[in-house]
Amino acid sequence: MTPVLEVDGLVKSFGGVTAVDRVSLRLEAGAIYGLIGPNGSGKTTLFNCITGVERADAGRVLLDGRRVDGLPPWRIARLGVGRTFQTIRIFPELTAVENLLVVTEGDWEAACARARELLATVKLERLADEYAGNLSYGQQKLVEFARMLMRDPGLVLLDEPAAGVNRTLLNDLLDAVRALRDRGRTVLLVEHDMKVVMGLCETVFVLDHGEKIAEGPPGFIQGDERVIEAYFGR
Amino acid sequence: MRRVVLPALAVVLAALAVYPTVASGYGVRAMLQLFMWVALAGSWNLISGLTGYVSFGHIAFFGAGAYATALAIARWHWPWPVAALAGGVAACLLALVIGYPCLRLKGPYFAISMLGLNEVLRALVSYFEGLTGGGSGLSLPTLEATIPIYYAMGAVAVAVTALAYAIITSRFGLRLMTIREDEVAAEAMGIDTARHKLAAFLLSAAGPGIVGGLFARDQGFIEPLSTFALVMTITMIVMVLFGGKGTVWGPVLGAVVLFVSQELVWARFPYVHQLLFGAIIVAVVLLMPRGVLGVLQQRYRLPRTI
Amino acid sequence: MTITPQMLGQVVISGILAGALYAMVALGLSLIFGVMRVINVAHGPLLMLGAFATYFLYHGLGLNPYLGLPLVMVVMFGVGALVQRTLVARVVDAPELQSLLLTFGIAIALVNLAQLAFTSDIRSVEYLTASWTVGGFAFSKSRVIAGVLAVAITAGAFLFLGRTRLGKAIRATSQSPDVALVCGIDVDRIRMITFGLACALAGAGGALIAVMVAIQPEMGQIWTFKSFLVIVLGGAGNYPGALLGGILLGLVEQLSSLLLTAQLSEAVSYVLLVLVLLVRPTGLLGGRAT
Repeated sequence: MTPVLEVDGLVKSFGGVTAVDRVSLRLEAGAIYGLIGPNGSGKTTLFNCITGVERADAGRVLLDGRRVDGLPPWRIARLGVGRTFQTIRIFPELTAVENLLVVTEGDWEAACARARELLATVKLERLADEYAGNLSYGQQKLVEFARMLMRDPGLVLLDEPAAGVNRTLLNDLLDAVRALRDRGRTVLLVEHDMKVVMGLCETVFVLDHGEKIAEGPPGFIQGDERVIEAYFGR
Repeated sequence: MRRVVLPALAVVLAALAVYPTVASGYGVRAMLQLFMWVALAGSWNLISGLTGYVSFGHIAFFGAGAYATALAIARWHWPWPVAALAGGVAACLLALVIGYPCLRLKGPYFAISMLGLNEVLRALVSYFEGLTGGGSGLSLPTLEATIPIYYAMGAVAVAVTALAYAIITSRFGLRLMTIREDEVAAEAMGIDTARHKLAAFLLSAAGPGIVGGLFARDQGFIEPLSTFALVMTITMIVMVLFGGKGTVWGPVLGAVVLFVSQELVWARFPYVHQLLFGAIIVAVVLLMPRGVLGVLQQRYRLPRTI
Repeated sequence: MTITPQMLGQVVISGILAGALYAMVALGLSLIFGVMRVINVAHGPLLMLGAFATYFLYHGLGLNPYLGLPLVMVVMFGVGALVQRTLVARVVDAPELQSLLLTFGIAIALVNLAQLAFTSDIRSVEYLTASWTVGGFAFSKSRVIAGVLAVAITAGAFLFLGRTRLGKAIRATSQSPDVALVCGIDVDRIRMITFGLACALAGAGGALIAVMVAIQPEMGQIWTFKSFLVIVLGGAGNYPGALLGGILLGLVEQLSSLLLTAQLSEAVSYVLLVLVLLVRPTGLLGGRAT
């Protein structure tokens, strides 16, 4: 079966620093994958290369078997890649519902209905017409998550979804992520909270200094010597 | 809201339509200029207020329109309404040529590129004397058409404002605002920002191009310094910032308030008036970055279309 | 017109001399951008203030413009620090649109203050009007001295950035304000000093061109554009890039005034700007994205 996402030998360097060094990944449909590694190990850069924000120096990115490296970010998004950002990137001077509406095509009324429906699934229906900039941090995070779902992406990239989120909200988010998987979507998430990664992901990739040093089920990764070394030093 | 605003608008437009039959020559001229400023400020708002790409040389489109129109009238004897529309087309073509490379740049690069564009156009117009008359200017055949130009200018002002309304209430307009708010996120959400910016830029060049053409016909004489005047770009920017960028009526409010005060007081002290413009920009940015209508909008939760 | 190797040689030397001046002034703009991510549209008008200061020192106190230069730099440092502390500091962390508009407003206010205070009369400092002739090349003395002093001041600025504690703190802040903060650098103070330094460089530029061109309130705007062009060519926030960009702009301008006319050299520089931005949006040497 063609993988949903295939990254093959990706390289990206800035100046003299190689942020991503010959990384290869294969993501199958309907699973949750984790991407972990110490700070500065290249996780966000890898995300940026997959989504077209950065252009890789070498290597290939394939979505459902189709090459997408070199395409502008908006095209990749339209091919079914949704993402959230490490620091929230909503449109503060648009209302919550407008944040979702800008993503839509076609019939306006239907789009409005769908946007409100999605906001309701993250329990924000009452704040739909509030300016997004006036919402709390957690609510903004939910708006960003709902906005990402507007296109119903087949592949979802989440950059630290659990950061700065309280317990209740976190559980809601994690349930939403599991629901995505159960609908056959593929999720790749960067996360520092190991409990989240261990409880959620079927497969974990570990990056260190831009290189993929390990890959496997969470339990297996925890015992890997190179991973322990990367996290705790030698 | 609609039931108050629409009749009020109709009354104002009707009053403006009969105004030339009762007003003095000065009154008509002053109103004609006010229309020009409404159209210019409203056009600047379309690109800079909505997408956040600040154009420091927007008057270049006015100048390009003025010269295209003047040439069409003086050299090729086109009727002036057609020539003025051609001025709008010329401005759009210029916007296409400049916008394609420059809009790929991030904000500050674009802003200064536009500042440079205006300087360069002025230099080019001065240089190609054979065509443009160079620094000594270009005269048009005499024609008394103040009243028709009044209506034409008014029509452009109305058209630009209506266009702003249509855009701001549309999905296209919301997408332009996402560029202002966070361009990276907009792209990641599948919005083709380059095409949206270019479209907004072309729309924002059309008004100044036509208005420039009408200005040339009305004055009967144009020369590079007063046609590519940086101070006019400054004036548009001040009007929009004061009234409220990104709103429908902000540029109109700004144009009315600043034009009236300019006519009443400041015209007698040219440098003081420009100094005040500089001070207003600084003050608005520091104290009221949303402008008058922007503040009202946020405080009373009004729609952007006020 | 035939172009002799003699003329080309003259053009190359004049281009390098002018380029050194551009590099020095543009380094100021680049420093502000590097440290604060602000494009200071008032950079040219600040240069204009430096030129007026030189004029008044010369005509009022009879001070030799080159001796007045350090004084002008000190005064302009103060002006810059003040402008930063009172105005620019409030928008540094706001969206870039705000700082761009703010410095635009400051630029307009400065030019028109100068109009009010000094009138738009064209003034000049007649000093060293003659030329040197060396091996068949003629050089206006003021341009040679300006070029040499610009090189010296720019070199001084680089030494300061590279060798002193404060200079290193400035570079660290432009690498990453957050890291600088963590390292115990007082980022607010660094920003103020950087702005002062940038204005001192603009002031020095004003002092040096005061003896070469007409002094009037609107002389500065074109320098904002030229400095910007230089940092685009060299890469924004890339400090050595300003050197390369300056020399390149000087050469292009001189060459195009030789091959076309002086009037069109501005248009040629503009086309160059657009081309560079199309091909290398981050500048020839590469800079940091905004």
